[in-house]
Amino acid sequence: MREYFILQFNMSNRRLKDAGLEPMLGYVLILAGFIGFTFFLFQKTEFAHYAYMLISLGLTTKLSEIKRNDFLKSCFKNNRYKFLRITENLAAAFPFVLFLLYKQYFFDSAILALLSLILALTSFKTTVNISIPTPFYKKPFEFTVGFRNSLFVLMIPYILTIISISVQNFNLGIFALLLLFLIIIGFYPKPENEYFVWSFSMSPKKFLFEKLKTAIFYATILCFPIVIIMGFFYFTNFHLIMLFYFVGTVFLVTIIFAKYGSFPNEINIPEGLILVTCISFPPLLLVFAPYFYTKAITKLERFLV
Amino acid sequence: MIKISALSKNYGSKQVLKNINLNFSEGNVYGIVGENGAGKTTLFRCIAGLEDYQGDITSTEKPLKNHLGLLLTDPFIFSKITGKEYIQLLCNAREVKIDDVESRNIFDLPLNQYASTYSTGMKKKLAITAILSQHNKYYILDEPFNGVDIQSNIIITEIIHKLKQIGKIVIISSHIFSTLDATCDEIHLLQHGEFIKSVKKDEFHILENEMKEIVIGNKLNNFEIQ
Repeated sequence: MREYFILQFNMSNRRLKDAGLEPMLGYVLILAGFIGFTFFLFQKTEFAHYAYMLISLGLTTKLSEIKRNDFLKSCFKNNRYKFLRITENLAAAFPFVLFLLYKQYFFDSAILALLSLILALTSFKTTVNISIPTPFYKKPFEFTVGFRNSLFVLMIPYILTIISISVQNFNLGIFALLLLFLIIIGFYPKPENEYFVWSFSMSPKKFLFEKLKTAIFYATILCFPIVIIMGFFYFTNFHLIMLFYFVGTVFLVTIIFAKYGSFPNEINIPEGLILVTCISFPPLLLVFAPYFYTKAITKLERFLV
Repeated sequence: MIKISALSKNYGSKQVLKNINLNFSEGNVYGIVGENGAGKTTLFRCIAGLEDYQGDITSTEKPLKNHLGLLLTDPFIFSKITGKEYIQLLCNAREVKIDDVESRNIFDLPLNQYASTYSTGMKKKLAITAILSQHNKYYILDEPFNGVDIQSNIIITEIIHKLKQIGKIVIISSHIFSTLDATCDEIHLLQHGEFIKSVKKDEFHILENEMKEIVIGNKLNNFEIQ
């Protein structure tokens, strides 16, 4: 068991080294990024504690991935496996629980700890062999895969929009729109196998253009109901709704550039921090989007002619 | 035609391909054989442009990669994508319009099911269907017969014959000599990154015997099989 956690620690160190960072510095940066993001989130919206819990549960859900857990089950005896998974999930949720306690959200922190514990003991394996239909099947893969992976999470922004109308809270509606963009952006950062870029018979410029076209079009389809409902009920603030839609779109574009700017590797920590900084000060996107675009073109030239 | 001249490839200080010179011409099927680690997959990745290398690789259709159907030994499949969408993705990549995916389902695959739930052989068959749907000029098939059932082996063999008939270039690697014997016009033996022998169809049996000699030698004399 101890060896397992030492191995996890060593793997994290290697990932940081691969990202070009000394592990100690990497951990400091991650901690600083986490604290910065947390304070930013809680400063920006009164519903931050809900988003915060969702983010934490999103991270712990990643640890419940079926193949990973099947492998762990094959390696450890049942009791040890359960203990290991509970430890992992609680460790992942710990910083979030701690901050919720600090903010005196005692009930939320208890719920978060409990859900993390339940998630550790829950298997999502299903014997039902159904492919979820998606409106995005014509242009696989990001939206097709993302839509299926986040089907339930995708309902949250729409529910929040309805709540925002019923309680007449404009800010909640804007939060719902931004949350939807956050979910959509989550479809993108992980790089695909290089084969799926190599397969394209187009120039890097056209490849990126096609990616953006699909991303913006499909993101607009998902945002459309929120924008229309919000626009109808808060017509006087329609310009603000469009502004946030625009910012979300520019951020989506920047993430795609950043992804291919690091391709075939994942977005490294310093660039990840740049993106986080852009969230807190969106005008920076106008500087960094062209920077990531230039990098993406250079990286893609290796795979595309 | 695909022409490879003075191709070499190093991984750090290790030289994996040494001064490879080969010509592949239209309407022919070429077999590349060699033990594990001989450099077959690296050679294919170089031809596909997925690796940097020293030397030259030129082709009649330019750029080569845009006319190449590449079947990887272990095709990568996304987790929540159906077989149909996988084919659609690879056709979109080559800007090939595909209206009726079902009609291309030569292996009777469950195309509406998530491809990640397919067996190894089914994934390979899906990848073959996808690259055939791209209408490529050149094909590299890295171990197309591995993990595939006998019925599909027969279909793949027929597909290769058909590709040859319509003037495509097909390059195959396989560890099963009979499949190469049934499909190839020429076989090249790769050992430690170098081609040590090339034979035409009428000499395949000689190559097979020589390979047995090289591979087995007297190893089994000391191993008492009971």
